[in-house]
Amino acid sequence: MSGRVIVITSGKGGVGKTTASANIGVALANTGASVALVDMDIGLRNLDILMGLENRVVYNLVDVVEERCKLRQALVKDKRMPTLSLLPAAQTRDKTAVNAEQMKKLCIELKNTFEFVIIDCPAGIESGFQNAIAGAEEAIVITTPEMSAVRDADRIIGLLEARKDEIEQYRLVINRIRPAMVKSSDMMSVDDVLEILSIKLLGVVPEDEEIIISTNKGEPVSGTDNTRSGLAFRNIARRLRGEDVPLMDLDAPNSTWISRLVKFFAPVARV
Amino acid sequence: MSKIAIISRPDQGVLIDVSGCATLEEVIEQLNSTLQLSSHFWKGTPVDLNLGSLTLTEQQVAQLLALTKGLGVTPRQVFSLDLSTRSALDARGVTIGLGKPMSLPTVAPVEAEGALPVEVPQVTAEEPNITSITIDTTEDRIVMVETDETPDPEDAPKLVNFVDPNLKKEEEPTLFLKQGLRSGQAVSHSGNLVIIGDVNPGAEVVAAGDITVWGALRGIAHAGIGGNDNAEIRALKLEPIQIRISNAIARSPDRTGIKVGGPAAPESARLIEGKIRITRSYFE
Repeated sequence: MSGRVIVITSGKGGVGKTTASANIGVALANTGASVALVDMDIGLRNLDILMGLENRVVYNLVDVVEERCKLRQALVKDKRMPTLSLLPAAQTRDKTAVNAEQMKKLCIELKNTFEFVIIDCPAGIESGFQNAIAGAEEAIVITTPEMSAVRDADRIIGLLEARKDEIEQYRLVINRIRPAMVKSSDMMSVDDVLEILSIKLLGVVPEDEEIIISTNKGEPVSGTDNTRSGLAFRNIARRLRGEDVPLMDLDAPNSTWISRLVKFFAPVARV
Repeated sequence: MSKIAIISRPDQGVLIDVSGCATLEEVIEQLNSTLQLSSHFWKGTPVDLNLGSLTLTEQQVAQLLALTKGLGVTPRQVFSLDLSTRSALDARGVTIGLGKPMSLPTVAPVEAEGALPVEVPQVTAEEPNITSITIDTTEDRIVMVETDETPDPEDAPKLVNFVDPNLKKEEEPTLFLKQGLRSGQAVSHSGNLVIIGDVNPGAEVVAAGDITVWGALRGIAHAGIGGNDNAEIRALKLEPIQIRISNAIARSPDRTGIKVGGPAAPESARLIEGKIRITRSYFE
């Protein structure tokens, strides 16, 4: 089998790379695919916390690269989905612990076993980023509708374009959009962002308090039914698998008391 | 006359004068209460003992010598006025002091106005009055991590390579670290490890011997690395993500929110029949 290696990157920190990695990984696994989530943020590892798996980590990516253990020993099986595994980063090391060649080798080994290899890239454009994209064939660029995040995303897209031979396609996810603010022209719209970045759109994820709750619980939202952000991530996963899914209606009322009442009785997100 | 006097003589060391005591029991009591706190003080100092006219059998002499030795004092010579005591001392191979030992001039004791009574703790041979109750608190606190397959010797954890396999437990040095550990920081030591401070999540402590955390242990601790099944992990607040003892691994239960109920008292984790157990000790 030869799986797809997809790196999730943004340039700017705090726009939701790790959240997107966890949710896309869970959503892909929910479609029945075998998925490996790889945390490349060595020294600042978070993906295991979002997945609620930090207490199960024994070995990590650096142990694999330095041949202290076998790859299968370092992979942590998800507690909910048997087809989902996590390769955690080392916390007590730094970005220099691996190099691009080792990452390429590791990605080849992973895609022999998994249909999807999702790599959570660290912030920045230095060696950590370079190593994270080394073995990838596809990229998902995450941004928020803010000038600074869009500027950094543009920089990242430029760097990805420079590696056209290795990275076959790269698509955009706009995260944390607030439809009400967009309406009142206080926030950039999806079209505004696309106008600047001129890149294929993979999905739009609305701002959602549920993300904070899910991070604390260690259960990504895309594994639960009744959140709008979870639905957005599930749509992204379906698009990654080649399905044609329309963008969700961001204008659907979300937080009025009546909609909460409706949601209470029918806990399924409205599209 | 006081029952015991310690006389420092220029260039001749110290003379302990117990000639004021009437019985061996009194001598023992006096020596115990006066000398017990300062055993290291006598190191390298020549000490003489004056028994005065006390009559002792050979057995009692042996008892006395054992006591002084326990207090860190080995008399260079012993003065005695009693003939049978002298022969008993001689039989035990003790050098008998010649001539008249130095003594303090007799002064009538004066009760000092408002003097504070000084209480000197007694050393007794009896067990101290402590009963300990050990309570198993493992329930809901940790979950053993079962390994899917028997580990291949090739796969054996090689987390550290500094542990000398010939090191005996008695020889293990202890490292005191007067500092907490934050996420990403790691300490490993080939002996026992004592950390004065908190070990935060994301930090790792590894030791060949015991690990003691004077604070909260919230990260990962691995004691007894290299196969020491007797190693223990103890902390004032034991709430680790993972604890490993020798080759056994236990993890914390899964999170359900941000607040996790912490332990109420210091606890220790040890390996019992291949499983890591957490116990809390009460002293009453």
